[in-house]
Amino acid sequence: MCMAVPSRVIAVDGQMATVEAFGQTRQTSLMMMDEPVAVGDYLILGAGGNFAAEKVAEATALAAIDYLSQVLSDGLA
Amino acid sequence: MFPETSLNVSLRVRADTVEAVQIRSTRMVRAARLFANRAASEVLHLLPAVFSLCGTAQALTGIAALEKAAALAASPGQKAARALLVLGETVAEHGLTIARDWPALAGTPPQLDHAKRLRHALAGLRNALYPHGDWLHLGGGRLSPDRRKITDCLAQARKALIDLLGHDIDELVLPIAFQAWLDGNPSQLPASILAQGWAGLGAAQFLPMPELGPPDLAVRLSTDREGHYLARPDCAGRVFETGPLAHWYWHPLIADLIERFGPGLLPRLAARLVVLAESLREMDQLVHDLHDEPANDLPGLDGEGLALTEAARGLLAHRVVLKNGKISQYQILAPTEWNFHPEGPLVRALTGAPAGADLEQRARLLIHALDPCVACTISQE
Repeated sequence: MCMAVPSRVIAVDGQMATVEAFGQTRQTSLMMMDEPVAVGDYLILGAGGNFAAEKVAEATALAAIDYLSQVLSDGLA
Repeated sequence: MFPETSLNVSLRVRADTVEAVQIRSTRMVRAARLFANRAASEVLHLLPAVFSLCGTAQALTGIAALEKAAALAASPGQKAARALLVLGETVAEHGLTIARDWPALAGTPPQLDHAKRLRHALAGLRNALYPHGDWLHLGGGRLSPDRRKITDCLAQARKALIDLLGHDIDELVLPIAFQAWLDGNPSQLPASILAQGWAGLGAAQFLPMPELGPPDLAVRLSTDREGHYLARPDCAGRVFETGPLAHWYWHPLIADLIERFGPGLLPRLAARLVVLAESLREMDQLVHDLHDEPANDLPGLDGEGLALTEAARGLLAHRVVLKNGKISQYQILAPTEWNFHPEGPLVRALTGAPAGADLEQRARLLIHALDPCVACTISQE
């Protein structure tokens, strides 16, 4: 499944952001975003993670992370 | 760390030919079973957050399956609004592919500004249809379409596509205009493929997905206890292709290209242009079916529902079983499981291909044409 992990922004440098999800950090481009992105926001990344696709509300992101944690712990990932 | 799902395509070369193709997938095809024991509304809000590329199609297919399970028929107005949202996502996805991936494959700079304008225009549809933000409401949200805004969104999307392609999209899918576009735009991926003699690349046995999905889909899903069918679907041993070519192979432009080159690479790329043109045309029509409607509520019935959506990458199926108003089973079958099946269209396209220094490049183009929704690596044995 094309599952995305909502990733929390921990740094922004121009058109690039450093994001964190499940303890892993990565760089992603903000070029496709048409709303401002700040540290603490949650982003959904496109396939491969090179581009941020959209911003999600914190409550939605945390619910998704909770569900994905269960996927991980049940051995479905 | 959460593992990144991906596909690996392994090509075994013997005697200057691709003798065998193996596809390994780490996709989490059984993850939807963890929607069990959750409330339907909770799952509907999770769907667009955990599916990165087709969140709208996933959420609206989920709503349709849940409504079927509850024996509730969405109104024509709600159906039109939802179809507009799915088509908008489809147009944005294909536009992004053409702006980002086609230049990368052709060795030219990406045109992300146009894709960004396209996405921005189409992102406005949700609020123009459901200004109260309740598009995920079971039974139908409060529909209050702003036709002027919707028409503006569609006009901006068309303008972004014209700037991206250098041509009006409706005209472009006429066979004569398409040929002229190829001749006049040698740096575009379709033209460069034609120039390299790869228009028919990967043409092999073509098994398009039936319009209404596999006839045994409901039975196969309902008896798939271990998730084997979700991982490797088939229909009496046949593995269908789904997506733009399978959906539009009868379109005059695509039929003409298939006649000339077979169901290979150029017809597959051109079918994406057809999806863009036909989706925008259908969206223009759907605007006339919209009208104001109050929100509806889902009665707390039990039952089973199966819903299908033609999403950007092909046929998407959700099956749900409701018990006592809660989800007891949930299954999702995505297009990638058909197109990247170990006996599916990519394997048929690559098996028997000549080896050579450009084999990986040819494989990359065919993988792109079948459009997996996760990253895909290639290896050679």
